[in-house]
Order: sequence, then C-alpha cells, then structure tokens
Amino acid sequence: MACHLTSARASPFYRREIGPVTFGDLLERHEREIFAYALRLTGNRADADDIFQETFLAAFRAWPPPRSGNERAWLYRIATNKCVDRARKTKRLVPLADLRLAAPERDGVTIADLAAAVRTLPPGQRAAFVLRKVEGRAYGEIAAVLECSEDAARSRVAEAMKKLKEAIR
Amino acid sequence: MTLTPLVDDARERLLARARREGLIAVGYDVMDSPLGPLWVAVGPRGVIAIHYGARPDERELARITRTYGPGVVPDRGRCDGLLIELDQYFSGRRRTFDVAVDLAPLTPFQRRILAATARVPYGEVTTYRQVAREAGNEQASRAAGGALGANPIPIVVPCHRVVATDGSLGGYAGGLAAKRRLLALERGTEQVPAGGWPPSRR
Repeated sequence: MACHLTSARASPFYRREIGPVTFGDLLERHEREIFAYALRLTGNRADADDIFQETFLAAFRAWPPPRSGNERAWLYRIATNKCVDRARKTKRLVPLADLRLAAPERDGVTIADLAAAVRTLPPGQRAAFVLRKVEGRAYGEIAAVLECSEDAARSRVAEAMKKLKEAIR
Repeated sequence: MTLTPLVDDARERLLARARREGLIAVGYDVMDSPLGPLWVAVGPRGVIAIHYGARPDERELARITRTYGPGVVPDRGRCDGLLIELDQYFSGRRRTFDVAVDLAPLTPFQRRILAATARVPYGEVTTYRQVAREAGNEQASRAAGGALGANPIPIVVPCHRVVATDGSLGGYAGGLAAKRRLLALERGTEQVPAGGWPPSRR
C-alpha cells in the first residue's frame, strides 16, 4: 500500500524564514529574549513579568504577526511600548539592586553608578540604550522596535550615552 | 542569577491568563517513549495529534491551526491523561485507550476508516482491504491506505494493526521498525523490561 508508506517522515525543525504558526512557536522562539529585555528595561522581576505577559497577550490578540520573519521586531516594539506606557503611568524608580542585570560593567564605574544613571534616562532613550549597548542590536532593528528612523535611533543612543557619561563623570 | 526559572514562571502565568481569556485551544507536550520522542496535542474535545518526533512539521501544525486557531501552546497538565495511558500501553499494562479523541477535522471517509481501525482488537491485525470494506467500500483499499497514512493519532487509533493483503507490513508514519515493535509488544513477543519501560516523560 504505497499510500501508507510515510516512514521516516521528514520532520524539519521550524525554519526561521517561516513565521511562527502557533502561539507556542512564538513563545518558544522569543520568550527568553523578551523576558531578558523587559528585565533590562524595567530593572525588576515583577515589572518584567508584567511586561512579558502584556507583550505576549497583545501579540496573541493581534495575531498573526505582521510579516513572516519580522515577528521579532514586532515583539520588541510591543514590549518597548508597554514599558514606556508603564514608566509614564507610574513614574516609578527602579530599585538599584535589581538593576544589576540591566547594567554592563565598566572599568572604574560601579554598577550602582551606572544603574543609577540608566534609571534617570527617559523611557525612549533608556530603551534605545539597552537595545544598543546591552543587547547589541543593529540600528535598523532598534529603529523598527522604537518605530523611528535609524538616525533618530542613533541620536537617542548618543543622547543616552552623553547623559550617562555626564552622570558618572 | 539564571533566567530560566524566571522565564518558566512568567510563561506559566502568561498561559494561565491566556487560558482564562479563551485564547488557548490546544495544549501539547513531548514524551520520551520507547519509540523515541512523541509530540502529543489535546484539543477542546480530546486528543488531536500524536506525532513521531519531538516536533511536528509545518504542514501538521498548519492542519491543527486551520481547525483550532493559533492558540496551540505547551501544556503538560492537559496532556497528562493521555501520557499516562501511553505509558501504561508501552509497559504492557493497557490494551485499550480511554481518552477521548477528536477526529472531527477529517473527511467522513477518513473517519470511517479510522473508526474501523479502532475496532481491531489489541494484538490482532487486519488488512487495508478489510478496513476499506468495513468503511463501506471494499474497492477503496488504496484510499484506506491513504487515510491511515494520514492518521493524526497513531497508537491510540491503532493503524499499526493494519497490514497489506499479502501479509507484508505496508507502511507506517513512525517507520516500519516502530510498527513491528508495536505489534510485537501487543503479541507479547517483545520482552518488557522488569518494572516496565524506562520513564517515558521528558
């Protein structure tokens, strides 16, 4: 019976160029980086957890992702907007101890110094700074996340860097 | 401080919320069986898929989302009943499955073929022609083979008990070695290790 001959069925693991087919796919691919990003932006676990949930719930509700392969920038954009909204609403300061994860260590500057400086940045600049200097994203990607031009992304990062340098001088 | 437990926690809370909001239709899990990893999925009305391998291909996933939408997420709790029964089956302690299966997305012919297959008793075999006859069309043995090849719930719907009229094994989604092993298990010719098979959960 030829028709039943489907032994060793090819079962390729998902290919990156194909967009996520299910919520589970989207989660499996991006849960870790989105949580880490939320943690870096908010500086504490409870808020990161909220941002993580709101981001993926919003993604599920808005299904499907905009374009195949582009879901990553889409998720970062949602997460960034959630963080910015939250920062605007609460104007809450970030506990220093929690910012240990958020700040890269530099010679001669304590993490606490840098963390204190990062938390003073406005949300848009803080997101640009984290995306560029902590996560090492390309400016094109940062622009997509922040929904601005690449030039604007560059200037936000530059502005953030300038403020940070002043703050820790 | 490692991220993994934080992400695991966050995911659990997210899925609980998504379930409360009615966004989730299907839960899946992966078990390590004596035949290798099995990806299993349970929908609102019962088991919808058992897939040989740790992950189904895009076509299989698309088949699921066409019927149930994209709300397909990891959910160990929802799959527990099925995994327990599969464990018992693989250790020779279960001959029939009690879990509900959902074959609604299939064509009426496919459903009739699979229903006829489900009636083949444990440890016995039948032929493609015989299940075609039971499904109402003896001439349709080739189509019966097609329907069995597309069986979304192997093992529970025991398409391994269907062989070619000449006595050869025919084919099997999990490979002929798996088909042979399942038949041997059911006929008691395969030695089950003392204490059953090794733990089959991931």
